[in-house]
Amino acid sequence: MSVEQHREPPRVACVVDADGRITFDLPPGSAPGQQLLLRLRPKKGQPEKDLHLLDLEPVDDGRQRVVLGPQPVLTEGRWDVYLIPEPGSGRQRLRPGPRDLRTLVDGHPPDRQTPLAVRIPYATLDGYLAVRAWLRPAHAEVGALDLTDRSMTVDARLHGATFQEGAVVRLRRRGSSGTVLTLEPEVAQDGRGFSFTVDHGELAAATGTESGVWNAFVEPAVQAPAIRIARLLDDVADRKDVYVYPTATVDGAVLRPYYTVDNDLSVEVRTGVV
Amino acid sequence: MKISFLIHNAYGIGGTIATTFNLAHALAERHEVEIVSVLRHRERPNFTLDPKVSLRPLVDLRQEKEHPLHLRPARVFPRAEYRYRQYSELTDQRIGECLATIDADVVIGTRPGLNVHLALQTPRHVGRIGQEHLTLDNHPPRLRNALRRAYRRLDVLTTVTEADAAAYRRKMRLPGVRVEALPNSVPDPALPAADGTAKVVVAAGRLVPVKRYDLLIQAFAVVAAERPDWQLRIYGKGEEHDRLRQLIVDLRLWNNVFLMGAAAPMEAEWVKGSIGAAASNFEPFGMTIVEAMRCGLPVVSTDCPYGPGEIIKDGVDGRLVPVGDRDALGAALLDLVRDDDRRRRMGRAALENAGRFAPGPVVEQAERLLAEAVTARQAGRPAAQERARAGRVLVSQGFAARDAAFGAASGALRIVRKGQR
Repeated sequence: MSVEQHREPPRVACVVDADGRITFDLPPGSAPGQQLLLRLRPKKGQPEKDLHLLDLEPVDDGRQRVVLGPQPVLTEGRWDVYLIPEPGSGRQRLRPGPRDLRTLVDGHPPDRQTPLAVRIPYATLDGYLAVRAWLRPAHAEVGALDLTDRSMTVDARLHGATFQEGAVVRLRRRGSSGTVLTLEPEVAQDGRGFSFTVDHGELAAATGTESGVWNAFVEPAVQAPAIRIARLLDDVADRKDVYVYPTATVDGAVLRPYYTVDNDLSVEVRTGVV
Repeated sequence: MKISFLIHNAYGIGGTIATTFNLAHALAERHEVEIVSVLRHRERPNFTLDPKVSLRPLVDLRQEKEHPLHLRPARVFPRAEYRYRQYSELTDQRIGECLATIDADVVIGTRPGLNVHLALQTPRHVGRIGQEHLTLDNHPPRLRNALRRAYRRLDVLTTVTEADAAAYRRKMRLPGVRVEALPNSVPDPALPAADGTAKVVVAAGRLVPVKRYDLLIQAFAVVAAERPDWQLRIYGKGEEHDRLRQLIVDLRLWNNVFLMGAAAPMEAEWVKGSIGAAASNFEPFGMTIVEAMRCGLPVVSTDCPYGPGEIIKDGVDGRLVPVGDRDALGAALLDLVRDDDRRRRMGRAALENAGRFAPGPVVEQAERLLAEAVTARQAGRPAAQERARAGRVLVSQGFAARDAAFGAASGALRIVRKGQR
């Protein structure tokens, strides 16, 4: 290991602008010719294959900067950010500096361009800088959830697709059973907004005796590709422990809508709970 | 100057840690500064420490939690101090060794029990500054008694508000000790200020009962009912977490109120909001109020002792509402949610008015106090000339007598309880 890598890694400031471009700012004092490396974190035991190198450019006050625009397109996943101190040298992970994500907070332009590309700089659990990326041909963004003991109603909005005759919402049970519960969405006048209601009793019955998890999709037309229902359009990279909904108990089953580690909407049904 | 701070645990999150780091960073521009952390429980601090400031832990809980001396109660650290149970013969010993061999010109204690260590164990030639981040009136009588004796051996005692400094001058007899309010400083924000357009109210702090996040959530129900597009984000972690989560469910606020987890630093989170909120029953200073204002947010706060009233100018750069008054808190929040112009105007005023808490003015005052302590030690005379008037002496003796009576009474009560067992 070089001396460079022993040092406390530099802190990188990030700003996301209204168009979703990310500006990375390295502190002053770094040598010219450095690069940022974005690496898609591979699954455990898999080799890494998605890498992007970005050239840092000096700016007036001695900082080094690079702007990540719409290109390169980041495939969906978690991208770790490294510094390449000089061409061909080893890579160094980076610490996050201030991340100015304010433009993302209210980031709900009524219609987003598709494929939908969402990128949120965040701090990993061990304190390094990474970028969470989603890339979807079309998207259904969840809004408010209305929950009662007997049912849940989900408000959502389509991006990159419009509703036509024969649209359905499907809850697909995870695992090999392939069980599907089909629901009819209520579609708004503009052909984009919609809502659907899940009857807790019906879902509990469909779940049977074994606990299960149901993933939510919408198919906006007959034979249209299924669109995962998710919540991606703000500054919250990890929603699971922040957007938390209450449980409901029906016929001995405990139901709870929740966001997965990928911010997709699912419903957990636990049976046989005492 | 060589300056050492003595702090409970530099690796945690909280106002005292934040303000100590801020002051240490600012002083490190011109001085040699170290932070001595009595305890350590993780690899690196939550707050970023400038490499110019060195950090020295005394007891590493990751290895020494079961150290035989750590299992025995402390004798130097005062029993009546809030954190007594986290101290031990081991901390007594390590702090004592650290102070006996310290090569600093001046040592700064950051909580009552550590100030007692300072008063008793700092070598004669080293300046002693005690900082009180809590308040005298809220200390239990037995602690006040312990401090009344020990604090006489300090050179300087700083409080974070004028109100608390006045209480120390009035109720403690500390001849020769300079007692002065030194507010917490908040560094100049690195990010542009909030522009007042975000439909987000932000609060931050440890999730503990005194912060009254339960009251804030209840108050926010009024806002959510009228303006469902607004959200409340609460940053921090703590023992109240699960109860607050349940309250959010009970009030059906899961689409509007979010427990965000801890964030340090908070700056990038403040600028996502357009109103700051604080609902505490008690707030010795109110660091997060200043942080929010320095990011351009008007803050709606309870007018609790003592901090908020010395930071916020009601109706100008924020709002002050009675302590524990859910309806008043909700109404004040809703007023600012409804009135975009007023909210932005007050946000600009907050940005300007909070400038007095910038490191510049605060550090100048701190440097003057440090120099006074050092000079006093070198000259062998007190940092403050006693201007005792008979009346003041009598007043403070009155308080001392009352605290002694309380102390004796609670001692008696303990004996009675023991007898009953």
